[in-house]
Amino acid sequence: MPFLVDKNTRILIQGITGTQASFQVRRSIEYGSNIVCGVTPGKGKTEHLGVPVFDTVAEAVANTHPDASLIFVPGSSVKPAVSEALSAGIKLLVCISAGVPVNDMLEINNMLCVAKARMIGPNTPGLIVPNQTRMGIFPENIFHSGNVGIVSRSSTLTYEAVLEVNRSGKGESAVVGLGDDMVIGMNFADSLKLFHEDNDTSAIVMIGEMGGVFEEEGADWYKNYNKKKPIICYIAGDDQTFNKTIGYTNDIITHGHITLEMKKKHLRQSGIIVVDKMNQIHAALSRL
Amino acid sequence: MNIHEYQAKKLLNNNGIFIPKGQIAYTPLEAQTVAKKISRKGPWILKAQIHAGARSKGHFTEKNAGLGSGIRFVENLEDVYKNAGQMLGATLVTPQATQGNYVSRIYVEEFMKIKQSFYLGMGIDRTSASIVLLAANTSNEDIEKIVSDSPEKIFRSPVGRRGPTKNQSLKVANFLELNSQATENFHKFVMGMFKTFINNDAIMVEINPAGVLSGGEIVALDAKIILDDKALFRHPDNLPLRDNDNLLPAVIKASRYGFSYVEYGGNIGCIVNGEGLAWAMKGLNAKGFDIGCSLNVKGGVDRDKIAAGIKIIASNPRIDGIIINIFGGFLRCDLIADGIIDAAAEVGLNIPMVVRFEGTNRSKAVEILKNSALPLTMAESTSDAMEKIVKAIKENM
Repeated sequence: MPFLVDKNTRILIQGITGTQASFQVRRSIEYGSNIVCGVTPGKGKTEHLGVPVFDTVAEAVANTHPDASLIFVPGSSVKPAVSEALSAGIKLLVCISAGVPVNDMLEINNMLCVAKARMIGPNTPGLIVPNQTRMGIFPENIFHSGNVGIVSRSSTLTYEAVLEVNRSGKGESAVVGLGDDMVIGMNFADSLKLFHEDNDTSAIVMIGEMGGVFEEEGADWYKNYNKKKPIICYIAGDDQTFNKTIGYTNDIITHGHITLEMKKKHLRQSGIIVVDKMNQIHAALSRL
Repeated sequence: MNIHEYQAKKLLNNNGIFIPKGQIAYTPLEAQTVAKKISRKGPWILKAQIHAGARSKGHFTEKNAGLGSGIRFVENLEDVYKNAGQMLGATLVTPQATQGNYVSRIYVEEFMKIKQSFYLGMGIDRTSASIVLLAANTSNEDIEKIVSDSPEKIFRSPVGRRGPTKNQSLKVANFLELNSQATENFHKFVMGMFKTFINNDAIMVEINPAGVLSGGEIVALDAKIILDDKALFRHPDNLPLRDNDNLLPAVIKASRYGFSYVEYGGNIGCIVNGEGLAWAMKGLNAKGFDIGCSLNVKGGVDRDKIAAGIKIIASNPRIDGIIINIFGGFLRCDLIADGIIDAAAEVGLNIPMVVRFEGTNRSKAVEILKNSALPLTMAESTSDAMEKIVKAIKENM
């Protein structure tokens, strides 16, 4: 399995009957994703997009045995949706929804920890394994199956990174968007580890962002790992946009104010190849 | 969402935290009237209300605003009037707000004598996905100096979902070397701060400084709170706390359509679906040409909204050319194409425009623009778009 999922992964859709969910899920089905059911409270015992719809995740699990859940519910309803999925025993969630309150994300992270489950997102384009399964909202026509793993915090730059990989003549093993919310589920360290465990991945492209230290944590994991695969990283954002601080608390939390140069330096010292511009990724990949 | 000091103090006070008597004033006369109400004689403190810190280290850019900072101690009512007049309507620059902030209101507060002061912060540790409590004794040096010179003097402790425990509070109080009475009051104070944080869906609460009065009571002398925009739906009472005085008109306009607008230094305007695309274009090209502003249309848009968005960018006088860079995932490129045609029909295209579409419904969108015969250039990639806009601007000059 390249990165948590493959074409056999049985997928449940929470919030399947929404307009955007319907548009995206139909595309995923056409792509070959194994969508087995949906959940929308009040719409149980119906069918949508050719799969059965249930009122609760528990019923969905009992009847169709999904392995993973793709969440499209409104941001304000994500916490109960996650809680329901975890109670029903689902261990992998991909949350597309935007607008999840930060405090809800703190509780969700707690729940994930207790349930020993993973959530990608929120506010992410999702997870795609080219030619196998599309758990998200990616423009599917740009992907080519290959050996480069992509992990990104920025949604649109995930797609740009795919084009850069294609431009180098390579393709993608799996592409995962982490989302750029303040508190997220899966982080860089975990994703880099999964790509290192995957035999189909030989190199990794990482798209970071200013704000927080998720990139540094990933780099620290990488630094101490023995069988390194090459990582090429681009950091989006600049000091001009991110130097506005209100008070001192947020800088204290990150042990001081973090500039773009500091971030790049930290990553380089851990052995990551950092490019200054997005369009330098393909050349860096070709040089490997 | 940032809120002002006086609003933050009100939220803290609602959760049991003691604050000095104070009132807000929009005119010098109001300042004088509320000063009289607060106490019969001075001194009072006049505090400029802006969404940035380090006001006491700031200065006003206007000459007639006097030499004083954004925090002024005044002894008599004439000086209240005089200083309020200087501060109101002036522009305050501080180390945390170097671009300057317009002061529309000042907070008039009673002066309180304190025996000891400390910094207390509560924020989100993104790494551990938890709330963290920070504290430092600021009786002898201010927090800014501690942060840069001796960060080991800052106490750091994760806070559980039910708030700091009594034991935890006691540890912090000891670290701050509070006297015995203040130590007794400290847990209630920290719990008040925690309740403010949770009850309002804050992402940061900072009390800097907090002061210990002679009786051991603890008072919040200054406060900053950032509220989570994504959770405002749960707190309709907090909606009126929004103050747009220091936002650019374009930012306010953009937010009406659910877009975000950011100013950068250059001369090229861009419309993107994801701020990352604007960042990726920054610094991509020759000297003298860079991104000047970006409008992020995000995911859910329709034709009318896009047209309105294009007008916001086109009306920025610093902009010599526009790049529309859309990588459709959630968003369909053809909707953007329709919006471009509507905007062009309404305001005309008098500066060069380069359009790059990729992703969902790309070919349909390209077709729409081709058929429109608008004088715009299509680009194949982000870097191609930058190259083409620079060329077009040079030709247009």
